[in-house]
Amino acid sequence: MDFFSSLMYLAAEPPAKTIDPIAMTSQMLNGIGIVGILLLTGLGLAITFGVMRIINLAHGEFIMLGAYTTFLLQKHMKLDLLLTIPFAFIATAIIGAILELTIIRRLYGRPLETLLATWGLSIVIQGVVKLIFTAQLKYVKAPALIKGNWTLFENSSGTIQISFYRLFIIGVALALLGLTGYLLYMTPLGRQIRAVTQNRDMAKCLGVNTSLVDMFTFAYGCGLAGVAGAVISPLKSVAPPMGQDYLVDAWMTVVTGGVDKLIGVLAGSFIIGQSSAVLAYLLNDPTARVIVLAAVIILIRYRPEGLFTVQKRG
Amino acid sequence: MKSRQPLIILGGMSRRRFIKYGSLALGTSVVAACSNNTGPTGESPAPNASPVATTSGDGIKVGVMYSTTGSIAIVEKSLQDATFLAVEQINEGKGPWSGKQGIKGKKIDMVVVNPDSNWDLYNQMSKRLIDEDKVVCVLGCYTSASRKSVLPVFEEKDKILYYPVYYEGNECSSNVFYTGAAPNQQITDSIPFCVKNFGKKGFFLGSDYIYPKESNRIAKAELVKAGGEVVGDEYAALGTTEFITIINKIKQAKPDFILSNIVGDSIPAFYKQLKDAGIGPDDITIMAYPTTEEEVLAMGPEFAQGHYTSFNYFQSVDTPENKAFVEQFKAKFGQDRVTNGVMEAAYFQTFFMAQAMEKCVTEGKELTTANLREATRGQVFQAPQGTVKVDPDNYHTYLYSRIGKWKEDGQAEIVFSTKAAVRPIPWSQALYKGRICKHPTPDDRSNSIVETKKDIPIEYLQV
Repeated sequence: MDFFSSLMYLAAEPPAKTIDPIAMTSQMLNGIGIVGILLLTGLGLAITFGVMRIINLAHGEFIMLGAYTTFLLQKHMKLDLLLTIPFAFIATAIIGAILELTIIRRLYGRPLETLLATWGLSIVIQGVVKLIFTAQLKYVKAPALIKGNWTLFENSSGTIQISFYRLFIIGVALALLGLTGYLLYMTPLGRQIRAVTQNRDMAKCLGVNTSLVDMFTFAYGCGLAGVAGAVISPLKSVAPPMGQDYLVDAWMTVVTGGVDKLIGVLAGSFIIGQSSAVLAYLLNDPTARVIVLAAVIILIRYRPEGLFTVQKRG
Repeated sequence: MKSRQPLIILGGMSRRRFIKYGSLALGTSVVAACSNNTGPTGESPAPNASPVATTSGDGIKVGVMYSTTGSIAIVEKSLQDATFLAVEQINEGKGPWSGKQGIKGKKIDMVVVNPDSNWDLYNQMSKRLIDEDKVVCVLGCYTSASRKSVLPVFEEKDKILYYPVYYEGNECSSNVFYTGAAPNQQITDSIPFCVKNFGKKGFFLGSDYIYPKESNRIAKAELVKAGGEVVGDEYAALGTTEFITIINKIKQAKPDFILSNIVGDSIPAFYKQLKDAGIGPDDITIMAYPTTEEEVLAMGPEFAQGHYTSFNYFQSVDTPENKAFVEQFKAKFGQDRVTNGVMEAAYFQTFFMAQAMEKCVTEGKELTTANLREATRGQVFQAPQGTVKVDPDNYHTYLYSRIGKWKEDGQAEIVFSTKAAVRPIPWSQALYKGRICKHPTPDDRSNSIVETKKDIPIEYLQV
């Protein structure tokens, strides 16, 4: 009896709400906020996976290392978050370079083994961080300069606003995307990077120092992840497993957009961010996540290379 | 030119490569094992490794089962710390145990296991503690999922679990002593408080698993009973840190208060993003259950300031026992640590256990499950929160019901407190009117659910 009465109680949810245009617009704007985070976290992976073809399961841990760098600098040097961003980049890039030299370097062209090795790495990095900092949640302060909300529209039935910090995240993400695009497509170094990934042996024959290029590229990808960690840290708290939250999202973004072109990351993060925002608003968060994940799986089934990819000759 | 190697090499793995990956895998597991080092007493139980007893000799073996790795380790590690402190005080005759030495001279030997935040491992570990290590009883578990996972083991093998966590109720086991809050010690007082102080419209929020859903179901029924209105009911994926959508829904629903059963890592993210979205405690107040001193410290106190938590214990409770507890805890684990309600329960339940064991030994009885159970029933202890008592009928604990308002220093100002510990009622009376739990004396482990069909009066502990 009680079981049925409680079932009845659960069934009597609040009545379905009508879609309010203001709230919906506001939610689309929120979606842009989600897009910013996806883009920022996906960008590093677009380098390590998209360009170098390393199935990098330790990507989330580099994000975490960036966040810890910010935490350390804030705690001991009393630096503002904005000033810690370059250090987060440098610290994670150095760690990335060391790991490339010692482990990743030996695994090029063997994607399955990189998968295992980076998975192991992610466990090791998490373990080491837990040893040093313990598992407790750490607190990172948001930058003093960027706070409050930008109100676009306001009347009696609601407001449409986005927080300045979310806008800042989008700004950082777009700036890094532009910088990376410039680096890859407009500089001699970028040409070398692309040459090495397209045909390693031929590049070597033509006098490209492939090992140096590899190390640089991997370190750059890790550095981008570190920046993502630093920038995201004040929205949540810093803890050893924090990177795991972003790993799946980053992968979805990169795979959906296609790995060959940087623009794919932007497109992937936009599609996933907005569709999760809208679905989450209409249904709820966990359901939206399930639907988006399922949609990505179906997409990969029919477009294994992602949405934005150039047809290659065999 | 070297040809590209096939992706999967079957049987063709060279010795060098085998050594290379073998050592990588080994290194990984070594570091993972090291990271489990549980600190103060120096044992390092890796997941799946054999449990390690801390001291040798003919002590009394007690299982300690908290995860020190994995997603829930952040909370369970501090429960383990509180348990270690209590056991150390019992063994060395310090703190509340001063003047005594162990259990009539016998030391408590902890068998510490780490279930790695994996619900199945809790089940396996508890079997091993009981069958191989032959522990007398077990102190442990945090989430309802892990308790549900081990409950059949303790009932089948007839052993006792001391469980220190506020939970959703609806259990009446002869094998568990519940020392955290039952629904009527946390939810029943907080909902009328919200209606009276904030307004009638409540928005219910939680992480997407059993405890928040059950707890919110009870709280919603209490709100309807108190004349309020449920304007929203949302669940976020466990461990998520993205609350932008839920905050938008909150803005649209315009509630007077939010009842939050968000747990773990998600707590700091939610509070920060709510403030970031321009909603302060003056606009919409949060009343939370799982938000304690520890989470407030992790998010930065300015984000919690002005919001409320309903709990049995706060670090700011003004009793001599609490002053001593906080001091001793900080001395052992560091001045930057804080204490919270779950840790306090993990601490005092160890003394319930020790007092019961002492009673058995004094009366010349063997430490069997039946004897320990009868001895634990009705135990009274001067806990940091005040005098608490194990209810002899339903094995839950008489606890204070308190509501705290967070201050800028990360401590709570206690704005409501019952005059004495409240008698626990395992079933929410708003949902299951008249249902109580009454174990017979001596407990024959029969079904002890009683339908009285009557209103259960609120009773306070008389000492």
